[in-house]
Amino acid sequence: MIKRPHLLWLLVPFVLYIGALPFVNRVEPVVFGLPFLFVWLLGATLLTPVATWLTWRGDQRIKRNQRIKRGQSPVRGRS
Amino acid sequence: MSDAAVATTLFGAFMVATVALGLLAVRGRGSGGGLAEWSVGGRSLGAVFVWVLMAGEGYTSFSYLGAAGWGYNYGAPVLYVVAYMSCGYAIGYVVGPLLWSYARQHGLVSITDMVAHRYRRPWLGAAVAVLVTIFLLPYIQLQITGMGVVVSTISYGAVSLNWAYFIGFAVTTVFVVVSGLRGSAWVSVMKDLLVIVTLAFLAFYVPAHYFGGYGPFLDRLVEEKSAWLTLPGSGGSPYGGGWFATTTFLNALTVVIFPTTVAGYLGARSADALRRNAMWLPAYNVLLFVPMLLGMAALFVVPGLTGADSNLALFKLVVDSLPAWVVGIVGVAAALSSIVPMAVFMLVIGTMWGSSVLSLFPRWRASSQAQKAGSQVVVVVAGSVALVLTYAAPNTLVRLSLISYEGMAQLVPMLLVGLVWRRLSFVGAVSGLVVGVGVVCGLVFSGRDPVFGVNAGIVALAANLVVTLVVTYVRPADRDERPDEVVLARDPVGAAG
Repeated sequence: MIKRPHLLWLLVPFVLYIGALPFVNRVEPVVFGLPFLFVWLLGATLLTPVATWLTWRGDQRIKRNQRIKRGQSPVRGRS
Repeated sequence: MSDAAVATTLFGAFMVATVALGLLAVRGRGSGGGLAEWSVGGRSLGAVFVWVLMAGEGYTSFSYLGAAGWGYNYGAPVLYVVAYMSCGYAIGYVVGPLLWSYARQHGLVSITDMVAHRYRRPWLGAAVAVLVTIFLLPYIQLQITGMGVVVSTISYGAVSLNWAYFIGFAVTTVFVVVSGLRGSAWVSVMKDLLVIVTLAFLAFYVPAHYFGGYGPFLDRLVEEKSAWLTLPGSGGSPYGGGWFATTTFLNALTVVIFPTTVAGYLGARSADALRRNAMWLPAYNVLLFVPMLLGMAALFVVPGLTGADSNLALFKLVVDSLPAWVVGIVGVAAALSSIVPMAVFMLVIGTMWGSSVLSLFPRWRASSQAQKAGSQVVVVVAGSVALVLTYAAPNTLVRLSLISYEGMAQLVPMLLVGLVWRRLSFVGAVSGLVVGVGVVCGLVFSGRDPVFGVNAGIVALAANLVVTLVVTYVRPADRDERPDEVVLARDPVGAAG
């Protein structure tokens, strides 16, 4: 966990879907005709992959550093 | 041809194609490979197949029937499905590779295998396999009945409910027994294509046909049905914000250890395939908004549906507004949404019994081939039990299904906490599980779910955790001389040195 602080990005969906709930459980303001709660949850659904991607990017960086430390090429597949 | 003939013919053709595709999946792989080839596809599925398979499991007949029905009856609370799946995929980013590497390192094929290995007690794996089977059987029945309702509706009544149940069972059993997880993944590809195309079409067609477009539809919804648009939803719904939050949290934890999800994890070729999946799977959830919105559209078109009929909210619209061949294709998509999850449920039950129960007996322990044969028999037996109960005592399994998910959640401490925390003792884990399952049964069967506005399963999980921790600390630690690397799971990113 200490070695992978970027795992904290994975909390983003929990904040969006659960933490924000008391503030977004409302019809107004209506956005493009959609009630606000639906807009929020749709937004959360689209942002979750982004948060996971940020985690993934952090992990890729760790792997690259490990490969460099071992004296290998930073790109996988070539040694 | 009459409408019924057109829709039924289409349906029949696709069912034949499904079986053929499922059988083709193992072509050229011979009958070798044993249990691991059959149950987890030889751990060789690439990122795309795993995505399709796992998306397929998440999108069941519930999405067509239950989601539209909940949308119709209550409205917003049904969005918990989207919420917990997204959160679950995020947890899966960490848990998936963890379980994958543990299983691969020790040659395990199911969660019951993992439990038996972690606590070094084969009979514990067998006991958990029995418990999990009890929780999974209702899901097979739900898929069978879901498919029955869909098929009889889209065939305009030409195929009776009882025949539709049987077709669902037969089609699924044939390809699961022969080609296992690989066959399910292949069928999933066809299913996902149909689901995406039909839902995208319906999402635009239905509002345009009945309301003259999205604008007028949503305006009417906001004006006339605003009770449906926030939690707790309409009609004295008990599903308020507290319930939504706790259910999202509990189900997100549970979905990552749900035996069918784990089957998908273990089928992956590499840990990175799973991480990539965790990234892209939430996108599929956008589709879940569609049946729910259409369920609410049905409020205006076919008002007054009650009870089980409200589950047909979506199909009433489809049959009412579209030509027979389109009805047939939508029906096929929904039927495949029953078949794929049902296949994986049956496969998982077979795998658990093959690896954790049958392996206790010398006759099966000897070879992986024998275990596979035994597992295939278990698949047929489990499917048959669900089918017979569907005909004979449908309510038994419906009652059981109420505790399925919340009951499964009680395995989280034993499995997940156990795999990362060495001190957790066997007695502690078992005591927690017993208390947790007991609390779930007590609350649900006495009609107290939600209890005090929160999900009953989370109350049980809290009790479970407390008991697990207290018993672990009070009793002396297990004597297990195996090193940490053998007992615990490591995430491959952290572990690669």
